[in-house]
Amino acid sequence: MILEKGQISSAQLFFLVNCFIQGALLPLNFAYPISKHDTWLAVIAAMIIGSVIALVYISLAGLFPGQNLVQINDLIYGPYLGKFISLQYILFFLMTLSGYLWFISDFVLTFIMPETPISSIMIMFSFICAWAVRQGIEVITRMSVVFSVIPASIVFITFALLLKDMEFTNLLPLFESPPGDLFQSTHIIMHISFSQVLVFLMVIPYVNKQGPSKTPILLGMLSGGMVILVSSIRNIAALGPLSGIVTSPSLEAVRLINIGKILTRLEILVAMAEILLLFIISCVFYYATVLGLAHISKLRTYVPLVVPIGILSIILSLLSYESRMQVSHSIMYITPIVSLYFYIVLPFMSLIVAKLRKLPRNKGRN
Amino acid sequence: MLSYILSKLKFLKLLGQNYKLSQSNSTASKDEKNTTSHLSVSLKNNLDLFKETIGNNYDVVIREFTINMQKQVDAVLIYFAGMTDPKIVNESILKPLMFESQLEKNTLASKLDIIEIIRTTMLSVGEVNKRNTINDIVDSCMAGNSILLVDGCPEALLIMTADWKSRSVDEPKTESVVRGSREGFVENLLTNTTLLRRKIKNPDLVLESMKIGQRTRTNVCIAYIKGIVNPSLIDEIKRRLNNIQTDSILESGYIEQFIEDAPFSIFATVGNTEKPDSVAAKILEGRAAIFVDGTPFVLTVPLLLVENFQTSEDYYSRPYFVSFIRLIRYMAYLISILAPATYVALTTFHQELIPTPLLFSMASAQEGVPFPAIAEAVGMGIIFEILREAGVRLPRPVGQAVSIVGALVIGQSAVTAGLIGAPMVIVVALTAVASFVVPAQTDSGGVLRIVFVSLAGFAGGFGIMIGLIGLFIHLTSLRSFGTPYLSPIAPLSVADLKDAFIRAPLWTMITRPSFIGSQDPKRKDFRLKPSPPSEKESQSE
Repeated sequence: MILEKGQISSAQLFFLVNCFIQGALLPLNFAYPISKHDTWLAVIAAMIIGSVIALVYISLAGLFPGQNLVQINDLIYGPYLGKFISLQYILFFLMTLSGYLWFISDFVLTFIMPETPISSIMIMFSFICAWAVRQGIEVITRMSVVFSVIPASIVFITFALLLKDMEFTNLLPLFESPPGDLFQSTHIIMHISFSQVLVFLMVIPYVNKQGPSKTPILLGMLSGGMVILVSSIRNIAALGPLSGIVTSPSLEAVRLINIGKILTRLEILVAMAEILLLFIISCVFYYATVLGLAHISKLRTYVPLVVPIGILSIILSLLSYESRMQVSHSIMYITPIVSLYFYIVLPFMSLIVAKLRKLPRNKGRN
Repeated sequence: MLSYILSKLKFLKLLGQNYKLSQSNSTASKDEKNTTSHLSVSLKNNLDLFKETIGNNYDVVIREFTINMQKQVDAVLIYFAGMTDPKIVNESILKPLMFESQLEKNTLASKLDIIEIIRTTMLSVGEVNKRNTINDIVDSCMAGNSILLVDGCPEALLIMTADWKSRSVDEPKTESVVRGSREGFVENLLTNTTLLRRKIKNPDLVLESMKIGQRTRTNVCIAYIKGIVNPSLIDEIKRRLNNIQTDSILESGYIEQFIEDAPFSIFATVGNTEKPDSVAAKILEGRAAIFVDGTPFVLTVPLLLVENFQTSEDYYSRPYFVSFIRLIRYMAYLISILAPATYVALTTFHQELIPTPLLFSMASAQEGVPFPAIAEAVGMGIIFEILREAGVRLPRPVGQAVSIVGALVIGQSAVTAGLIGAPMVIVVALTAVASFVVPAQTDSGGVLRIVFVSLAGFAGGFGIMIGLIGLFIHLTSLRSFGTPYLSPIAPLSVADLKDAFIRAPLWTMITRPSFIGSQDPKRKDFRLKPSPPSEKESQSE
């Protein structure tokens, strides 16, 4: 049963992961209030820990080449428990998707279109995502090549343009915030960007060369992490103590750019970049949800599921969140703990069980 | 009610009978053709058969005459007046057969050999073929050949005399150039393929011909270079051409719409050009060209999006300016689809993004204008399209009047009368000029402009972003004969970017575009960079 006929190259996988990590550019806002000017340290820590955890996912994928997360669960836990665990994962992907939907709609409402009802923005955005998901993983990855270059170049250009306004002493003193806060901040950053690489267990089987998916993923994480690091350093150096207070440090920092009264109001570029990145992230989660569900329900194609899942995610996000404060609270204090189960407990357990059961068994015999 | 059903039933019954009737008719006519399609020995029978097939046409010439050999033999020459060269018919066919054959003292072995003797010794014409079925003969006659029927022979000679009035090779109207060849294709297929063969003097240039259209019997010709083109591309083109079951092909646009990959897309996935040098360049890159008789527009496949932004002149001029101009073309295309939408979004939703002095002057210009920006943009867009269409269709002297009416009345007076704001007129004019920079995408640009304006009027900048992402999804998923439409950008091919946004110097373009999949990817040698003679060499000289 092959649900996805498209094939992606490992270079494209690199760009997709890069795009995926860069997408944390704005959700990173939730870390600033906790760790203040030490956030860039938290980014580095999250990058390192995230890469180590990603190695677990990659080795899990390496044990079962050509199998995605749902099939791997079936092989490790058997058909019934495996389905149950896969269903949990899919529900989690759906929750994440609806969270992103709410986040982007709220972002657009706050900064671009203040008087629009949130549902109309959600519908437009998820319509576009559904369109991309229907075209398959091939189209999503091809787009990610362009969509990862544009935001990265915007970050570096704005960094150069802001050099005049930056004071690097704002980064000092190092480790001023207590270790507990730093750890919490690291955890937040990790769970909104680096360890979400888990979702790539649904994508790795479609890389055309099965072997070396390790290098593109790790390289993608590191390069994407570098972009986030640069942007967080830019924000802290330019804004100073303000970075922990304003709603969106990236936008506020870029707003400071004023070169000869010609290059001003560049935050619209950041907003555009963020829409592109969140589009790719939402597409990947959307795709994983739909593909996983199609695998569980043994469909021949996942296309009929795309629209219902889109409607479901809109309704879910309208039901789950009410205000920006609620989302902030949930992302800062609740989801990091909940997602531990999915990011760390389940993958580690899968790997240990697979090793204990000496899976995959038919490797040498056939 | 009952009567209605009854009448319906009767109708169906009649329909069935009709169908059966037509079926039996068609089989009967087929049988008839099969039995009588071969020529007989009698000249009179052959002539009757021919007249019966060709009908009562005023332009067919049937010349009966006598060949004087050892004894007199009756013969008939048939051709279409206007499709043959009268000089050849008179001087090279009729004259030798009627007068000079008396001098011929060949031994006449049998009557069957007459036709062979005529073919080998009497006709001073390049191409002469023998055929014995009426279908072949009629087809050939329709193509402008003369038919020679001789009494006592069940075969006919098809003498190549085709020649008719056609437009001379002229500068192409749609693609004018400053530098480069000024030849353009014409309506005659043979002239067109000759123009191509004169550019590529290589036996590997293959021109495969086929006939499409049950009634028009249009000649279609696939051109490619053996050894460069990917054979699977040619197979795919042939498969799609063979699938065309239609009665008429009048222009290459018919072929295009039957073979394109995405018939519902606003983007063309089959290219067309009027210039022999562009066709030569494209098939040298590993593409294939489709010539259609009766049109100067030659199709090229596969088509990539970046090809729309390239012109043949780009490769004849030096690279720096060309690269700059190419970037300008991309910008102009973006302006032509996005400028009205951006204006609508800025004035309706994001006034804070406009610099304050500009905002003041725009606000004063918009003062008293009764319509919202989106209504102005859509209205002006439609008015512009009307003016353009009128300018194209009207006879040239009247066209001038239209442009004056358009420029003065609709531009100037509408602003002074306070119907439209002056900035909107500027935006629409800019859009109009920009849309002519990339002529191949003018049609898609017109549709996209309206879509983007509506999106911007509905959701401002976010709407434009959504539209751009949607456009990108669509372009990424398009394919033209197996090649991704957006390559070399997505999927990325760094080596092919040398000819996408910029035009690298010719001596660095060593490889052919990789996504088309050429058999022979290397185009030229390395180390071709021109340099002045080094000092050592000049000293030794």
